[in-house]
Amino acid sequence: MTYILDDYAILSPLRSRNNWLKLAIVAFGILVGVSASSPLVPFTIALCMSFATIYFGRIPVKFYLQILSVPSGFVLVSIIVIAFFFGEGVDIFSFSLFGYTLGVNPEGLNMALLILARTFGGMSCLFFLSLTTPVIELFAVLKKAKLPDSFVEIAMMMYRYIFVFLDVAMGVKYAQTVRLGYRDFRTSFRSMVMLGTNLFIRSWEQGEKLYLAMNSRCYDGKLIMYDEKRPVKMPEILLTGAYFTIVITVFWFTRGMSLI
Amino acid sequence: MIILETKNLSYSYPDGTLALEDINIKIEKGKKIAFVGRNGSGKSTLFMMLNGTFRPLKGEVLFHGKPVKYDSRSLREIRKSVGIVFQNSDDQIFAPTIYQDVAFGPTNLDYPKNKVEKIVHDTLEYVGLTHLKDKPPHHLSGGQKKRVAIAGVVAMDPEVIVLDEPLSNLDPVGADEVMDLLNELNYFGKTIIISTHDVDLAYGWADYVFLMNDRKVLSEGTPEEIFRQTEKLKEAYLKRPITLEIYDEIRKRGIARVSKPPRDIPDLVHTLRPQHLMWVDVPPEVKEGETINLGILYGEFAQDSMYEAANCKVLHIHEDGLAIVEMDRKALRAGSIAIYDTSQYDNEEILKIIKRDDIECVGAMGKKSKIIAERDEIYLDVTAGVIDRSILNALSGQRCLILTHGGMVEHALERINGYIEKSGINLHVGVVTGEAEKDNGAGSC
Repeated sequence: MTYILDDYAILSPLRSRNNWLKLAIVAFGILVGVSASSPLVPFTIALCMSFATIYFGRIPVKFYLQILSVPSGFVLVSIIVIAFFFGEGVDIFSFSLFGYTLGVNPEGLNMALLILARTFGGMSCLFFLSLTTPVIELFAVLKKAKLPDSFVEIAMMMYRYIFVFLDVAMGVKYAQTVRLGYRDFRTSFRSMVMLGTNLFIRSWEQGEKLYLAMNSRCYDGKLIMYDEKRPVKMPEILLTGAYFTIVITVFWFTRGMSLI
Repeated sequence: MIILETKNLSYSYPDGTLALEDINIKIEKGKKIAFVGRNGSGKSTLFMMLNGTFRPLKGEVLFHGKPVKYDSRSLREIRKSVGIVFQNSDDQIFAPTIYQDVAFGPTNLDYPKNKVEKIVHDTLEYVGLTHLKDKPPHHLSGGQKKRVAIAGVVAMDPEVIVLDEPLSNLDPVGADEVMDLLNELNYFGKTIIISTHDVDLAYGWADYVFLMNDRKVLSEGTPEEIFRQTEKLKEAYLKRPITLEIYDEIRKRGIARVSKPPRDIPDLVHTLRPQHLMWVDVPPEVKEGETINLGILYGEFAQDSMYEAANCKVLHIHEDGLAIVEMDRKALRAGSIAIYDTSQYDNEEILKIIKRDDIECVGAMGKKSKIIAERDEIYLDVTAGVIDRSILNALSGQRCLILTHGGMVEHALERINGYIEKSGINLHVGVVTGEAEKDNGAGSC
């Protein structure tokens, strides 16, 4: 079985903490990270959130670095472009290529660093949320946030059947692979199309079965929420408070400051 | 009392294919019913009609003698009273967590929130899944999912529980746990209806069997009647239960007594003739037809028990003093079965009982008892087919202890006493919960 983010979240010890607190921490991190003008602030946030995810959330470091490497690929490419083509001023580093002079100036470099830090800050906040708060916990939050009932219910069933179809899809894919369905590009393409068609038909059938299953148990437009009471405890408040203080302090002292 | 009945029931799929033809069945309250038929014989469709999901083309379904109506109010009533467990648990479990799924039925019956909570908690404990209540269904094994599906239906407290192929895709122990659960539910008065193509299961478990093939009910009756009808079974593309096959074969060879067809292994063992012919040197004064005592066999000669007394009836004496004798072995130490109710569980007491009574074989029935045994590291010799196994072991002189709880205590007692009555072999049997305090190792049971 392949593990996805949600599986880690379900097993995480931080799952049993107050959902609103976790959401507040994440929202704070993202907002402050985006509004800070110095790369140091989002960088601090990235460090704190990664530490919390790995240490308190018991996420394997290797796995964490793995998922973090996905956005870093994109961001590294884009900051190189930004560093070379943005900003004005005296170049601190330049070389010529086919007669063009390419250079990096302090303004561009600052911008690149800021974007790098913001990306990591934001990503680490989101990873903290998705690795410690499984989707099943969020449904109650969505409901409390006064989203329409039918929206939340459909979301819940979609969540449930994602896994059913994932299983089916992996089964079909395997069956195709062992019969050489992914031998070359042409066959892969054909197999993919067949897989898609099959899944579509299955989901249609599943929808009908779902209707029967719900009716057999007297469906009356009501789904209960899984909503456990989890009061925020003192150590959590203290830790969160410390984190907020550190970030705000860094934010204050780095106002208008640039690294270079 | 008839709880469900159909009269001239026919049904065709929207595309016009006939799925059921002229079904007339009567189902008695509190019974264990099995519909046996090969795949595609119409069992599942019939089940969908029993709770009003499909509307009949002709005929009617009667619940408690009243025809089922198809307005939404009446449908709600019938669906509350007739719960259906689907063959594929993934079709049935649609909520994102186990808790939400079990709570689905009670919530839609408009129970207040704290009542729903209590029902869900009790039901989950009953099926032994409390520790998984906040898990999503895709983290569960097949057997666990099946138990969640059953819990979702049981939570609505229906009178009839209908299960479509309840044991498909389950491993033997998981299947056994589901059957234990069904037996317990039945003991508390629920009518249980299952469909299956497993003839062995239907033969050993059901009180009443409907044989189905090709959209029709071919035959109905007690399992003993149905599974003797070789022609009908052939017509339904089924075979005879293995117990019956073995019984017939050994009876033809004269090793088994002619008796009622055996339904389970203890029954089958009981039909065996205690016959061992052997050559023995006999003293000259012994005459044909007399019984001689060969003494006590032990060690490797006593096959089934620690000590066996061997008495021989002399059938024929040769001139040289050799005689053919029929040996009749009797285990000297009678086996026993003690039943322990784990709802009043006390670890010390159980260890005391095991020591006091020299228990050699411990079995656990029901998920709750198994969990307790695992937690306290009580070694379980038997985890599947516990009652049958214990009877067999007790017959060969072992002392057995069954850990179980709730309604299954009575169920086990009933089964064992039933066997004692049928076979005339007196096994010691009794409930031992709370005994250790009373007589503190004073005597054996």
